[in-house]
Amino acid sequence: MSETTPMKKPKRPLPKSRVMTNELMDSVYAAAFDAEAKGEPVGWSTSIFPQELCETFGVPILYPENNAAGVAARHDSPRFIAQSEGELGYSNDICSYARLSIGMAHMIATDPNYERPALAMPRPTFLLCATNSCFELLKWYECLSRELNIPIFLQDCLYNYYEEEPASHKVKYARSQLEHNIKRMEEFFGKKFDWDKFLEIQKISNENSRLYDEIVLMNDRDPAPMNGFDLFNYMAPMVVARGKKETTAILLQLKKEIEENIAKGVSTFGSTPQDYRVDWEGIACWPNLGYNLKTMKKYGINCVTNGYVGAWSLKYTPGNLDEMGSQYMQSSTNVNSTLTTMGRRADCASHFQCDGMLCHVNRSCKFMTYHMFVGREIVEEKAKIPVASFDGDQADPTIFNEAQFETRVQSLVDIMKQNKEAKR
Amino acid sequence: MFAVGIDIGSTASKAAVITEDGVIASKAIVPIGTGTVGPARVFAEALDRAGIARSDVKWITATGYGRFSFEGINDQKSELSCHAKGISHLLPQVRTIIDIGGQDIKVMRINEKGTLVNFVMNDKCAAGTGRFLDTMAKVLDVSVMDLSGLSQRAEEPAEISSTCTVFAESEVISKLAGNVKLENIVAGIHKSVAKRVASLVQRCGIEQQVAMSGGVALNKGLVHSLEEEIHSRIYVHEDCQLAGALGAALYAWDHLQPA
Amino acid sequence: MSDIKALLAQFDEISGNPRKMLGEYLANGEKVIGCFPVYTPQPLVTAAGLVPIGLWGGQVNPQVSGKYSPIFTCSILHSCLEYGMSGAYQGLSAALMPILCDTFRGTSAAWRAGVKDIPLIVFIHPQNRKDPGALDYMIEEYKSVKTALEKIAGKEITNRALANALTLYNKRNAAMREFCALANEHLDLITPVARHHVMKAVTFLKPEKAVEMVGELNKALKDQPVCKWTGKKVILTGITAEPDDLLVSFTENKVAVVGDDLAQESRQYRTDYPSANSALESLALQWLEIRGCSLAHDDNNTTRGKMLVELAERTGADGVVLCMMRFCDIEEYDQPYVIKMLQEAGLLAFSVDIDQSTTDSGQARTKIQAFAEN
Repeated sequence: MSETTPMKKPKRPLPKSRVMTNELMDSVYAAAFDAEAKGEPVGWSTSIFPQELCETFGVPILYPENNAAGVAARHDSPRFIAQSEGELGYSNDICSYARLSIGMAHMIATDPNYERPALAMPRPTFLLCATNSCFELLKWYECLSRELNIPIFLQDCLYNYYEEEPASHKVKYARSQLEHNIKRMEEFFGKKFDWDKFLEIQKISNENSRLYDEIVLMNDRDPAPMNGFDLFNYMAPMVVARGKKETTAILLQLKKEIEENIAKGVSTFGSTPQDYRVDWEGIACWPNLGYNLKTMKKYGINCVTNGYVGAWSLKYTPGNLDEMGSQYMQSSTNVNSTLTTMGRRADCASHFQCDGMLCHVNRSCKFMTYHMFVGREIVEEKAKIPVASFDGDQADPTIFNEAQFETRVQSLVDIMKQNKEAKR
Repeated sequence: MFAVGIDIGSTASKAAVITEDGVIASKAIVPIGTGTVGPARVFAEALDRAGIARSDVKWITATGYGRFSFEGINDQKSELSCHAKGISHLLPQVRTIIDIGGQDIKVMRINEKGTLVNFVMNDKCAAGTGRFLDTMAKVLDVSVMDLSGLSQRAEEPAEISSTCTVFAESEVISKLAGNVKLENIVAGIHKSVAKRVASLVQRCGIEQQVAMSGGVALNKGLVHSLEEEIHSRIYVHEDCQLAGALGAALYAWDHLQPA
Repeated sequence: MSDIKALLAQFDEISGNPRKMLGEYLANGEKVIGCFPVYTPQPLVTAAGLVPIGLWGGQVNPQVSGKYSPIFTCSILHSCLEYGMSGAYQGLSAALMPILCDTFRGTSAAWRAGVKDIPLIVFIHPQNRKDPGALDYMIEEYKSVKTALEKIAGKEITNRALANALTLYNKRNAAMREFCALANEHLDLITPVARHHVMKAVTFLKPEKAVEMVGELNKALKDQPVCKWTGKKVILTGITAEPDDLLVSFTENKVAVVGDDLAQESRQYRTDYPSANSALESLALQWLEIRGCSLAHDDNNTTRGKMLVELAERTGADGVVLCMMRFCDIEEYDQPYVIKMLQEAGLLAFSVDIDQSTTDSGQARTKIQAFAEN
């Protein structure tokens, strides 16, 4: 592999917003290790669990999905995956994030001297699992719970087949779970829940979601002020620290930087002309992010938008538990029907004036693949743009194939080019 | 009276003849497997080498993928049991057996009696099997027999990350196009097979000693890669390819004994 | 004895020809509701005067469904979609689909796009089953299924009709459990294939018919002398254990099936509808009481493993075969711990691939044979 991830070897000094992001991530990990050292509770959480709860309790949480992405981007995933598929006996059909994190959990639990990854996580004392991103999460967390012998706090999020917004009985169930989880946590942490602080955290979380959406939308300009792949990096604070003021500061800084770029007429995409605006669907192909970016630049493609990075924007009225529960039950593309999700993606592609859509058929993400297979017709019809797909994976490097990727990108470019010429 | 074991694989046929006294009288290998004239030829060849006629044979036990389709046999046994028995006879200290067949990878753990304790097989996918090596050899335009020598001359194994046969093929082609040395590519292919097999070995659990059976065991380059991946020495008997047939013959021999 | 053979032949016939059963129901002027695997509220269907019929896909190499289904779709939902899209399920008034995994989420989308003539009634089980809100939610969710079925039936489902249906289903479950117990005393007659055909045929029968037929079979079995089985014994766990070829190889190797934890078989019949304040509440409560199933989250995370060890002890099984539905991630997550727990209990436990897209079960046969030989 010849690529280097932008994360590893920046050509330019990092913008201040990125430096702040890295500092925040470091401090979040440090707080978790600190708690472990003191024998205090530390949690591992699925990425769209109501973080407001533990933020209010002041209990540190880390996110295996976010961690796995980082480990994979640093090309360090194979040894953890091998641990899961080998000694532990897991099938290579299950999600690679799961294989990675179960392998890591096993090493943490059984070998105090295991070779730590650059982003090591402390041993958790409890788990937080929300089933909005997918159903496999629940089975994955059952495995972690067995491996580490710790309890799960579950926020079950129901698939919305018929409706765009969860029906009222679903919202009631969501609220009941929030309340019940708070009660269970009070017992588990031995602390009272501070409802005033909760309100504050909710406000911060909403402000961050609002700012984040605003930033994502700023890339609708042509040429785009941002390399769309940047959003994969700025996603991290939204996943890991959505309820923290530090995230607000990062987003405000980022917004300022983008505004400056717009004023100067420059872009973080660099000096390469942005010949094509493409909507990237699906999670990043983390082990191959560098190669993907390099190849797309070669063809003048900026992936200006991406449906996935917005999954952490949850907006509700602070203090309203029903609305909050409802938001968690509809966030992420995979808890909504294909009609809803891909209809929105098509609208988004139109808004961002995309010339095409490139779908990462992520071997780990089964429902997302259905969205792409079934939704292709919806996008082609609604947004009237060509759709191409390629095989890859979010953390398992054995799936992606460079030759296939470039061929698919090239074919997409051919069609986009024809379409552009026809318009002239 | 003689006992015969015949192992009808997907890519080769093997046979072994055992005398009444339990001595191996002859062995034969034909490089074509089930659905061909291979099984009949290997049977005839084994009898011929032992200098015996069909009527001298009291019992024939078949094993291997084609074990149900060979006429004239007395009974058939699974490859797993036969490899276990065969290796246990050849290398009595062995407790873990790795067999890479044309379409199956088997990892077996056995006890001192040669009985299976645990086993794991690959899922339905050619990755890591003998078939995978055949395909790669074809892409590289070399004989499968040459893979071993080539990989032992490698300086640094090339990275073949894909486990899918089709994608690995395209990776190999792009390495060739990128002027990566043939030796390094072959070593890379071996490493990728070894990793795949190693995960099955870990899943089954390793108990010393470890042996490899089947024809692929003759590929020293691959055995070496696998030793690195599983951090263990791997014993290979010169008759490794015949382990299945020998195990079958030993089962057949049991029928020569008075009840 | 001849009674038993004749009865078993009927079950063979039914389990092998669900399409014929559907045709008979339709010819009778009845409306039929397809029930995806598993845990569909079939008593609601019966109470509405409709006929529930199990949808289990079949041995088919998917062609048309590839448009919407990725290659790594679990075998059973892939073949169900294939049958839906290719017209094999034509005549169904609707299909009931629970959302018990991601592939269900995906298949619901594919069905909506690819099967226009059979409306889907989608409903979702709550997984946080110990949450105080779970029961209320499940009741409300079943109410929406009830409304959809009432529309098809053109009549209201009363509390009494549902209560009667629940009683009927509990009777059916009891008959099935009795059959499993009796089968173990007559392993010479109830081969693995015969056992499977009885278990599967019931999913295509009206519950009253199932109670009648299985009752008759049970009675005939009781009249037979108990068989002392000398071969090996196994328990099957997983989603399904098909095709018949796979089960035949147990018989060929003198291995008897003495119990199962298959979604298509015992998992359907082991949890009764409990007594409750209303029939709907009883229907909903049953979901909360299911134990040891990979598809129903349990706070006690080793229940299934423990249940299997106990079942093996109770039935004297030598081993457990995990029938691994190809690409069923739900079962794949359970597989390592279940196998490990069983092996630690001194049982031989191994997996075989269940793949409806091919009839080749060569590898599984080899494994079963090796199990029998050692």
